[in-house]
Amino acid sequence: MSDERTRLERAIARALRDDRISRRSFLRKAGRGGLYAGGALSLPAILAACGIGPSGSASVAPSSVPVGGGEPSGTLIFANWELYIDPDENDNPANSPTLVAFKDATGIETTYTENIIDNQSFFAQIQPDLEAGNPTGYDLIVMTDWMIGNMIRLDYLESFDVAQNVPNFVANAADKYKDPSYDADNKHSVPWQSGITGIGYNPALVDEEITSMAQLLDPAMAEKYSGKIGMFTEMRDSMCFALLLNGVVPKDATASDVEAARDVLLAQKPHVRGYFGNDYVNGLSDGTLAMTMAWSGDVFQLQFDNPDLRFVVPEEGAMLWIDNMAIPKGAAHPNDALAIMDYVYRPEVAAQLAEWVNYICPVPAAQDIIRQHADEAESQEDKDYLAAVAESPLVFPTEEMLSRLYSYKVLDEAEEREWNEMFQEVVQG
Amino acid sequence: MADALARVLPATTESPGRPRRPPIGARLRRAALPAFTALVVAYLFLPILVMIAFGFNDIQGRFNYAWQGFTLEHWQNAFNRYPALNDALKTSVIVAGISTVIATFMGTLIGMALTRYEFRGRGPLNMLIFLPIATPEIVLGASLLALFVSAGVARGLVTILLAHIMFNISYVVVTVRARLAGFNRALEEAAMDLGADEWTTFRKVTLPLIFPGIMAAALLAFALSIDDFVITQFTSGRTATFPLWVYGASRIGIPPQVNVVGTLIFGTALLGVVGWIVLQRRQLVAPPTRTDR
Amino acid sequence: MSGWLRQHRALVPYLFLVPGGLWLIIFFLVPVLAMAAVSLQEGTLGTGFRLTFNFGVFPDTITRWDGQLIRSLQYGLIVTLLALLIGYPMAYTIAFRGGRYKSILLLLVIMPFFTSFIIRTISWKFILADDGVVLGSLKDLGWVDAGFRILATPAAVIAGITYNFLPFVVLPLYVALEKIDHRLIEAATDLYASRLQAFLRVTLPLSLPGVFAATLLAFIPAVGDYINAELLGSPGETMIGNVIQRLYLVNNDYPQASALSLILMIGILLSVFAYTRLLRGQELTG
Repeated sequence: MSDERTRLERAIARALRDDRISRRSFLRKAGRGGLYAGGALSLPAILAACGIGPSGSASVAPSSVPVGGGEPSGTLIFANWELYIDPDENDNPANSPTLVAFKDATGIETTYTENIIDNQSFFAQIQPDLEAGNPTGYDLIVMTDWMIGNMIRLDYLESFDVAQNVPNFVANAADKYKDPSYDADNKHSVPWQSGITGIGYNPALVDEEITSMAQLLDPAMAEKYSGKIGMFTEMRDSMCFALLLNGVVPKDATASDVEAARDVLLAQKPHVRGYFGNDYVNGLSDGTLAMTMAWSGDVFQLQFDNPDLRFVVPEEGAMLWIDNMAIPKGAAHPNDALAIMDYVYRPEVAAQLAEWVNYICPVPAAQDIIRQHADEAESQEDKDYLAAVAESPLVFPTEEMLSRLYSYKVLDEAEEREWNEMFQEVVQG
Repeated sequence: MADALARVLPATTESPGRPRRPPIGARLRRAALPAFTALVVAYLFLPILVMIAFGFNDIQGRFNYAWQGFTLEHWQNAFNRYPALNDALKTSVIVAGISTVIATFMGTLIGMALTRYEFRGRGPLNMLIFLPIATPEIVLGASLLALFVSAGVARGLVTILLAHIMFNISYVVVTVRARLAGFNRALEEAAMDLGADEWTTFRKVTLPLIFPGIMAAALLAFALSIDDFVITQFTSGRTATFPLWVYGASRIGIPPQVNVVGTLIFGTALLGVVGWIVLQRRQLVAPPTRTDR
Repeated sequence: MSGWLRQHRALVPYLFLVPGGLWLIIFFLVPVLAMAAVSLQEGTLGTGFRLTFNFGVFPDTITRWDGQLIRSLQYGLIVTLLALLIGYPMAYTIAFRGGRYKSILLLLVIMPFFTSFIIRTISWKFILADDGVVLGSLKDLGWVDAGFRILATPAAVIAGITYNFLPFVVLPLYVALEKIDHRLIEAATDLYASRLQAFLRVTLPLSLPGVFAATLLAFIPAVGDYINAELLGSPGETMIGNVIQRLYLVNNDYPQASALSLILMIGILLSVFAYTRLLRGQELTG
């Protein structure tokens, strides 16, 4: 199927859905050479209409013109993960103090929803709209780095000039977050929060100190805690852990490295209690899991309930993931999205977020602000808490720790399919 | 043969003589079934009891699975702590109510056509009704999503409704049919012999008799709709129903307010039952009758 | 109006069928047919899917996932049997011994299912937890050894699914049992049948339409269920629904996911036809 035909079919499919189409604009969209006879009813066109059609560089309108530079409209629809913004006294994130302050500063009213449970299912929900060129209903979403990479490749994100539209990012963000491998020059995203996927364990159930990936993955050692070990259902996390065990830097993994990683996971499988999503925290808390893959922010928070729980970055390394703010194609209020991106990079706002979210803060200057808050705090409890946040390597990691953290490899489609199939063998085969 | 017997036998069933006390063995055997039923009902309610209990748990962090103390706090802020929870609940009830009414209506019509009339295309129709039940929910959901997107229909309350009505129709037909299959036409014929026209016969004879079957089907449809997860997830867009909201929350830690709301739903159903009993006792509502009365 | 109806008597059934039938065609048939078309495609989300009539996807998928398919059918059968074993006596008790309390008892059976099944399943997860209320106490008493667990085993998944579908079994059984004419049973006992014989020769056969409906309402969703396996099971209990979900939402492998869904549907249909033949019922295909 040639690019020309595809473009035509997508244009027709889109045009047929546009109510205000006039005959002339229909013809213009249909491209030179007049109408493609019967095109609208052909199977490829129907499939394109069903959201199953090629995308990428063959897209027509909406164009890849960058957004930004305009006046904010006053409304923002923001979708995020749970527990990712400081809530109000009733634990309601929609009235977050940060969002209230944002409104005071800019006049923009934010509708905040915590619809994102994991990358894949949220993507599956909005993908049909993005594919069909329809607005998703969201202006700002937060997706993990590799999903951002995918969406950029699929041309599902609006682009912008970060220096012009998000100056606070350029001024205040740590260098590590600038020009990442998955989004060159931050043309489509800026980080929201970042975190570490490491090993969390319960010393009450684990006799020795955990320092190495092998204690989790090597069957000879994992056997000891058989049935009480947790892994992630997220393919990238689990596969990269296995790669690290084999001494492979994830970004440079080859096909044979990945097969070896799969074999490691298959060997470990008999001892694994389950492949979890966010719900591993339940297992870690109630004693079902002795040792599990874990996210730094979760364990940090769990430690307030159970101070014994430990989080460790193994000597072989751990994964650094970055959740990023991005604007889906066709967003109705892109300038408002850019405004909040800029707002949260103000150090005092970043500090406020870090104090609640407890993941890695992208703004180093926030650390001193949190220390200041700790000094000014009235109750000893607040003092201790804020000091813990400011000094925690899980929120402001040291250089040494950062040197042992690796980023995910950005996979192209064929690789992603391969990795997914191999991992599915482990998880469900 | 059952029909013929039913027509011939008299309606009296009194047995003569004083009733004697049955021996203990027989009494135990007689008690076995009700005891079993009581056990099963207890088993059905066990998770509900846990749910109710943990609505009173005084949790410190965000996890609600170890008892930490008694508190009424969650009952006090059940509906203002998570506004999204209220919205989700409202949506669920509205969807369940409307889809039940519409699906029961359409499904009963089909059930009646299938059991009482001759027509062509019976085979394909049976297939069409049966297939949604045989199809995994995930297939139903994903295929509907593709339909709505290509038709440019925004996903939300309406699309959830459309999906729920769809799968409810089949369940209603199957349930109503089981009841209609053995329906005794003799009663209708008797009514018509006595001079009633078709519409009156339907209203005064048929409908009351098949009403319990229709109610059972409606109950099933309501329960299915209010609890549906997979299909709703695909067709809901950004609208949340109660199961969707709870699933999302379960990844982190279900807040006790969910337990409270669950308890309230359960309590409302319980009140409904009690109300029904009271109304029946006072003869305001007719108890279900058997067809042989 | 009744005059018109009487004249066009033959049309009446079709009129009854139109609303529901049309609904099912638009919102079930059309989407599923489109899905069947997808299964014959090849490609990826980025490069697009092309209709290549790749019928090879079916044998490939079956061989790839035969273990999970078989396991799902097995679990479905066990669940159905268990549900019938528990549900039939219950429906019988309510229908025959319920008296004035029939409706109440029925409502009692349904009421727990007005709360979200997620809450109920999580409650089961709590009740059956490794060191929870039940197992923890048993372990403390030494009746059960420390490594024993119920969760993350086939038993937990089967128990969970059975629990979820019990009312779907009880209801149709009740409906069928309730309309049995008691005089027939009395006639049987008058003719010197024992209570057991009366049950086996009169009640049971007359309740078969209900058994049929109950079996279907339990077996079919049980085979396709994946939430119980996800929440209560370990990877060793992966059912075909889990695989389909992962193929759709994680791998974005729509053709294989659609093919697998079709295979599951056809597998279920074949089982049901075999069952129908067995019962020589004309309910479905008559």
